Amino acid sequence: MKKTFFIYCLSLMVFIAVPSWAADGKALVKSNKCGSCHKMQGPAVKTIAEVLKRKAPDLFYAGSKFNKDWLVKYIQSPTVIRPGGVVYTNNIKLNGDQDEPANLLKCASKLSAGDAAAVGDYLMSLKDATMKVGVFKKAKIKKAMARRVMMKGEACNACHSFPKRGGGVSCPTFEGIGSRLNPDWMYSFVNHPQKWDPKVWMAKRDLDDATLQLIVNFLSSMK
Amino acid sequence: MKNINKSMKILTMFLLAAPLIMVSFGLASAKETATDNYKLYCVQCHGTKGTGKGINAPFLSVAPRNHTSAKDMGELSDDNVFKAIKSGGGAVGKSTQMPSWGAVMTDDEIHDMVKRLRVMCKCEGKK
Repeated sequence: MKKTFFIYCLSLMVFIAVPSWAADGKALVKSNKCGSCHKMQGPAVKTIAEVLKRKAPDLFYAGSKFNKDWLVKYIQSPTVIRPGGVVYTNNIKLNGDQDEPANLLKCASKLSAGDAAAVGDYLMSLKDATMKVGVFKKAKIKKAMARRVMMKGEACNACHSFPKRGGGVSCPTFEGIGSRLNPDWMYSFVNHPQKWDPKVWMAKRDLDDATLQLIVNFLSSMK
Repeated sequence: MKNINKSMKILTMFLLAAPLIMVSFGLASAKETATDNYKLYCVQCHGTKGTGKGINAPFLSVAPRNHTSAKDMGELSDDNVFKAIKSGGGAVGKSTQMPSWGAVMTDDEIHDMVKRLRVMCKCEGKK
């Protein structure tokens, strides 16, 4: 009888605990004050004055933007993704007459694996309902051609750094971008950056679907 | 006749209120200053001083234009500078590393930017 009662209690504890684990992510985001740097609710800001106050990337569409596995690892041990800073123009020092990034600032998040999983679940629930999914078509591409389009044609390396080849520092590095970002989101962002961030300092290109697929396939291969 | 007058009054009120409503709901974005546009879009390559020494400049195959150089900037007409900003370097036979900013700056803002660049170079555009 005692044994049966013990098993019943244990089952009840698990039953009660599971929903609370699932709900923990939002509470952890609040208790860790993620919202003091990240914008957790849309819409995106629409003026340069507001952009200049930004301390960290917007997270209100994190579930559309990121790959969950990467996100859960990142919030346990953040790395530098934006070598020029979140808003590069706020983070410049002069070396003679040459501008340089002043500080390499990392996100302060250092969650345990369990907390990171809960926060990851919550962040992945923050989706942009207007983003088309299933747009990206994984395909075998000619990397030399993709590199030519991105480095010669569109000059992506002017602002983004390519693995082993380097590049500009005012925008996020391409190192590990294939692990980091959802390819459907990459497609949408490259196609129209201002849809996501009206004042972002990446110019809009007029790219056709074939070129977008080529670029996003190449970016996705940078694990 | 009375009904027509009433309808006209409602239509007039709506037309007068429409711009206010659009601004309130963010449908029409406020005009940015050339100083702010320069700080966010141009500084990354042309630098905080406008001399072409931005944080990305060391990684570019073609050096960004020095906006403070009267000699370099004086060779360009205002129309040429406007077109380069709006449609990119490729549109004026220059480097495609200069992208087109027509999607983030309005024509009005680009005209203001051309004026700002003329102040920076202390020069006039080629006629």
